[in-house]
Parts: sequence; structure tokens; C-alpha cells
Amino acid sequence: MRRKFDFFILLITGYWLLVTVLTGCGPTYPREKFEESVIKVCKKDYKIDVKVEAIGKTIAIYLPLSKLIDFNFAITKSAGEKINDVILSVSRVALSSDAEFDFYVIIAHDVAVPEIQIVIIKSVDDVKRFLLNDISRGEYSKRMLIDIRMSPQAQKERSIKEIFERMDLDESSREQILNDFFRAEPAALGDIGYWNDRFYIKEVSNLEFVAAQIAGRVKTNFRDDKNISGLFMLKAVKCQYMAKDSRDYFRLEITADPKSLGQAKGTDYHGKIFGEGIAASAVVIHNYHFNDFEYVEIVDVVDGKSIEVTRDDLEKFRRKRLKLEDILK
Amino acid sequence: MIPRLWKMYIKTNWIKFAIILVILLVVALAVWGLMSLESFYRNITLATMPINLIMVALNATIFVFMYMTFMRGGFAKMSKSKIKGNLVNVKWNDVIGMEEAKREAWEVVQLMKDRTRVKQIGGKILRGMLMLGPPGCGKTYMAKAIATEAAVPFLSMSGSEFVEIFVGVGASRVRGLFKKARELAYGYGGCIIFIDELDAIARKRVFSVFGGTEETNSTQNQLLAEMDGLQEKDENVVVIGATNAPEDNLDSALMRPGRFDRKLYIDRPNLEEREKLFGFYFDKVKCDKDALDIKRLARKAVYKSPAEIENIVKESALLAARDNKESITYKHVSDAIERIEMGMKHRRHMTVREKEMTAYHESGHLIVLYLLHPTEDVFKASIIGRKESLGVVHTHPREEMFTKSKESFLADIKVALAGYVAEKIRFGTTSSGVAMDFKMAMQRAQFMVWSLGMNDVGLIGDYALIHETQLSEKVKQALNDATADIFNKCLKDVEDLLLKERVLLDRFVKELLDKEELDYDEIDAIFKEYGKFGTTVT
Repeated sequence: MRRKFDFFILLITGYWLLVTVLTGCGPTYPREKFEESVIKVCKKDYKIDVKVEAIGKTIAIYLPLSKLIDFNFAITKSAGEKINDVILSVSRVALSSDAEFDFYVIIAHDVAVPEIQIVIIKSVDDVKRFLLNDISRGEYSKRMLIDIRMSPQAQKERSIKEIFERMDLDESSREQILNDFFRAEPAALGDIGYWNDRFYIKEVSNLEFVAAQIAGRVKTNFRDDKNISGLFMLKAVKCQYMAKDSRDYFRLEITADPKSLGQAKGTDYHGKIFGEGIAASAVVIHNYHFNDFEYVEIVDVVDGKSIEVTRDDLEKFRRKRLKLEDILK
Repeated sequence: MIPRLWKMYIKTNWIKFAIILVILLVVALAVWGLMSLESFYRNITLATMPINLIMVALNATIFVFMYMTFMRGGFAKMSKSKIKGNLVNVKWNDVIGMEEAKREAWEVVQLMKDRTRVKQIGGKILRGMLMLGPPGCGKTYMAKAIATEAAVPFLSMSGSEFVEIFVGVGASRVRGLFKKARELAYGYGGCIIFIDELDAIARKRVFSVFGGTEETNSTQNQLLAEMDGLQEKDENVVVIGATNAPEDNLDSALMRPGRFDRKLYIDRPNLEEREKLFGFYFDKVKCDKDALDIKRLARKAVYKSPAEIENIVKESALLAARDNKESITYKHVSDAIERIEMGMKHRRHMTVREKEMTAYHESGHLIVLYLLHPTEDVFKASIIGRKESLGVVHTHPREEMFTKSKESFLADIKVALAGYVAEKIRFGTTSSGVAMDFKMAMQRAQFMVWSLGMNDVGLIGDYALIHETQLSEKVKQALNDATADIFNKCLKDVEDLLLKERVLLDRFVKELLDKEELDYDEIDAIFKEYGKFGTTVT
């Protein structure tokens, strides 16, 4: 019996080794052909023309579409499908490559209205974990940063061009001045875009991504959680990674007005806003195993109040070993 | 021969070849499929492949186990084993203690080897050989030696392996066994099927008036058909059956020529063979063979089978190891025989009177046995309890006797009655310890008179065969009187002898009470001290 078992294990090992050796473990899409591979896959499998540019460990894909947004300012079905196809293609190439990208940015805009852009930022690691069933589809969706916005470059150029008009600047020198003084690389994730056949991209850092994730998670909660959305009108959420007195921290600013006039602004009111901020921060920071900070400062912009929650308290809150009331004290 | 071997190999192992081909195909398909995958998915597949394979194998094992257990009557079918003749490795010279049987078996080996010559002459090849005899006499060993000598594959199965509660399984296994044997015979030029404990499937068939039949019938019918039925090809397959059941118990159809043509009776070894056996087994252990007196041991081990002799040597080695001795001594062998024959000592707490009565009882047996018995020797006398008895006088025959004389029967009766007489002489009363002695003495006396014609009333013949109601009162009376006469005469003779040897009797009682056990040498010395000598073989 023992010999049979040994033989069986040997057979399986032999089979596995044989198949592994014969197939090899090399990447399907090598680093040097990464951009080319994304373009090819999108063209071959989905007949979509894209442009690709890499910066550091971030890859940016530009996707021109017709009818990106409908009359309700929502993404059309056909555009949504194409965006998904491109996401899938980039994911495939990124996962089967030795390029070791950390993030990818998909910029889609309507060729008819190029000022309107959709910017999607994703972590390659999230895609991998989703494909390995390590995270759920719902969680995977929450981890995708989607922003529909006016192209910042377009806005900027329009303003500058208006100034040029008023200055009556010579046409021939306008482009030169734009290039020299106004077409700078983006400094924040919100500046990422594509305008006039040019990528405006920056390398996405882990800090920015986590901060953006926290803000995005708060937005989602204020939209989807009826207990909150019924009470507040969220106006803005902003999260930044900062340093003060040699201490690194996240500053999460939440601007939310109460829906009912005359609603009491007591502990409960602040508690709900701070509670959402703490919950979102705790989950995101745990998801990305991020430890390079000391505390999270949550600011209720409308009321001007803020609290500081340490890293340990965040983890205890997530594990339900610390109540919100105890943190607020 | 090589192409035939290859053809046979492919025929017998086609399933293995098919499995190998499938595995190669699966490997090729797996490689092809994995090559078409992107490296991420390929790596995931490769990483999970071992656990997936194990899970598939586990599922398959569970399925096969359930299928075999519930649908095919268990895994017994799988136990059929082929052994190559040269791997059996029992050399002809290793077979000792059965010279007569060896000569017969050698002929079978030659017939298997010279099959072509036999066919040229027009003779039919040997189909089967049946080995009969008591257990432990080396039937299986002989079969192995035949396989080694003939250098052909050896398929071994036990008769009980064919027996199953599922109808048809036995017959199916017989078919499978012979199919396999023919395939091997095709390749190797011959094959031996050895069926041990053949009586499991070869008992006389039972034919029911209701038309039903026993499962063993169909198994045996299949065996009959395979051994001498219509076959496409006549391969050199010889069936060797072994059983310790009497020949009469086996079905006559199986015993006819063309099936088990040869019958080999493998009996217990004689004196010379026992000497060889002791020598053979003592060669395998550490001992001084000269000091052991193998001739004496062989005489002691009358009626012992080779297996029993092997067991004695094995037990002696264990006793020597227990005594922290480096080699086996005669005492170890003697103790081993005693342990095997008489069982473990079991000391019971007896009263002084009980102990004395037991000593007189055993001394009575001992004196009569030594002085009167023509064929039995005393081996040991003891008043230490063993099994159910409080004491014992252990005997062994001086040599194999294949018949038993009237004198020997009478001596048996006298020895049996001696315990009773000794108790009565000393105590004037007797104990329940005589029950088994009387039973034995009475059985012997009745057997002599009723069945062997050993009576003085002129009633010669086996009256025990005639139903009691068919015997006249006069005949019955005469036979019973003759039985009682033998019994009483023996009783009188024993009384006379023990009264005459009262001093000797008291001496043995004293010795037994002092030492509790007396060996042959001690007993013999005491008799010689009193100028008494035992009887000789008649």
C-alpha cells in the first residue's frame, strides 16, 4: 500500500514536472513589448484602437470612443462594454508580463466631446487577487477608482486661450507659450488625462492610491448606505497623505450638509460623519496592508471639527474591539 | 521465442499499454493546452495542478472502492498473483522429508519441460496433479519447487478465494485465472496454476431436486471445463491442487484422468527424513548439531510433520534467546517439544492429599507404560497442571507404526487403568481423575471386540457396522461380556503388577512429589536402579 502511494506521488510529480518543463514559465508578454502587446490584444480580440504609454510602474491607456455619455450624463452601454474590454485586455497583458506594473490608468473620452473624460485607476494586484478569488466581485468594484470629469488640461487651455484672445497674442507663438509654460505634467491623480493627442500622466504612488481609495470608499458609502444618504448631502471628499512634525498621516476632509433643516448637530451627527470616515479608512488601510502612517485626521469641513485616530485604534475598530463612542471620547 | 514473449506481453498487458498511451496523450494535450494559455493562467494551472490531480485521484479511488465493494464483491478479484518460476526460488534440494513424493513430482517437471517430445510420441500432456496429505507436510513447498525447477510462471490462488456470496463470481475467477495462465503459457511455454486448499471448491457437488444449485457447483463446473474442456488452443498449463481433505470428499469428476491425472500423497516424514529435516532446520540457527543428538530427536518426533519440526526448532531458538544462551541446546529442544505437545504449565494450588493422589495416579501410568507397553515410550511424567489435567504421563511412539497389534491395544488399556489401580492401592479409594482413563480403556476394549474381532468368543467381524436393533440380544451380550472380560483381565494384570512393584511405585511418587517432573532419562535411571528394563518393539 505504501509503495503504491509512493508510486502515485512520484507519478503526479513526474507528470507535473514534465508539463512544467515542456510548457515553460516565461512571460507571454515581455516588458519590452508591453505597450505593443496591449495595443495588439485590444485590436485583435476586441477591435479597439488604443494608445498606450508607460511611466514608471504605471501604464496609461487612452481609449477614444463615440457616444461615451448619454443625455443623463451616464456612461452608455456600448461605451461601458468597450471600457470593460480594454480593462480586461490590459489586465491580461499586465498579469502575463514581467513588466511588473503596479497600476494602470484607463482614460476614455468621447471623440465628439473630448473635454469629458472617464479616468479609471486600478491596482494590478487587485486584479490578480480577484482572478484568484481572493477578493469578491463587489470588493473588486469598490477598489476601482472611477472618475468622470472635465479634462483639466482642456479647462486650463480654454482659460489660457481666452487670455491669449484678450491679449491678442500672435497665433504662431501661442502654441509655443502653451508648451513652455502651461502644459506641465500632472501633479495629482485628479490631473491625469489626455488632451490634444497627448498623455498627461504621472506615476501613481501607493500613498496616493490608498488616499484616493479612502476618499472613494467614503463617497460610495454616502451614496449606497441609506442610513447616511438619508441624512446628509455629500458635497466633497478629499483625502491626502501628509506629514506634520515628522509624523505621516492621512487627512480626510468630508464636506456633507444635513438634509433636514434645523437638524441637531450633536455628538450623533458628528459621530455618523466621523464613523463613516473611520470605517472607510480602516477597511482600505487593512486591504492594502498600509502601515507607513501614524494616524488619520478626519475633518468635518462643514462644522470645522476634526478627530485624530491612531493606526492601532483603526485596526481595533475594524476588528470590533473598540467602539466608535470610545474613539470619539 | 522472443516474438511470442512480446506478443504475450502485449496481450496480457494491453490495459497497461493503453493507460500509458492515454497518459502520453494527456501529457501532450496538457502541454498543447497550456502553451496556448497566457503565462498568468498557465502558472495558475501549473500551481494548482498537483492538488487537482490528487483530488481527481482521490475521487477515482473512492469511486473504484465503492464500485468494487458494492458491485463486484470486493477487491478479492485483484488478489490473483503471477509469480515467475525463477522468483519462487525453492530449490529442488531444499525439499526434504518427502523423497517418494519428490520422485513422482520430478516426473511432472520433466513432462512440463519435454512437452514437445511427449506430443511427438502422441502422448497427451499432463493436465493436473493433486497433492494430498496431512497439513504441514510441504505440499505448497513442493509446488513451489516444481515451479522453480520447471522455470515457468506460477499462478497461486487459494480455493477460498473463489468462494464469494455473489453468484457467478467464483466461476468468473476460474475463467480469469485460466485465461491468464494460457496467456503466460503462450509466452513462456508453460504455466503452473497452484490452487491451495482445493477442497473449498472441489467438494462433491450437491444437486438439488428443486433445480437450484450451489455457488461452489458452478465454480467447480467451470474448473472442470477449463481443465478438460473445449479450448481454442492447447497450452501447457498444469494445475496443481493441494488439499488435506480425504480424497473421498473430493468430486469424482475432478479426479478422473484428464484432469488431476496424478495423485501425490505427501505423508509425514519417516525417521530418516525427520533426521534430515532437523539437520536442515538446525543449519539455519545457531547450535551445536553434534551435541543435539539429532537421531534421538528424530525418534522423539514421531508423526511430526515438517512444519511441526520447523516449529520445534523455532520454539527452541526462542527458548535459547530467553535463557540468554548463544546457541540452542538439547534441553531447549526438549522443552520446546514439551511446550508444543503438552502446552504451558499451569500451576494450581492442590491439597497435600490431592497432590499425593495425583502422584500415585501418574506413577501407576508410568510404571505400567514403561514395563508393559510394546510400542510407546515415556517422554515425561509430571504432576504440574497443564490445560485441564492435574498431571500427565507424556508418551511418544518409538517408531511409526502403521498397524496396531492386540498387545498394543491391551497395553493401552492397562496403562489407562493403572492410574485407578495405583490410587486404590494407596488410598483404598479413587478420584474423578480416572474418568478420561476409563473412557479411553473402554473405547479400546469395545473397538477390539466389536470391530477388530480381538475376542475369545468367536464373534469375528465388524459388529459396530450393524445397527444395534439388527443384532440379537445373544450376540450383543456375548460381545459386551467379551469387552468386560478384556477390561477386567487388564485390571487384574495391572493390580498384580503394581502390587508387585509397590516399592517402585512409592519411589516414583516420592520423586514426583519432590521434583514435580521427571524426564525420560531420570525415569529410565530409576527403573535401571531397580533392575527393570522396558519392553522392546514387537
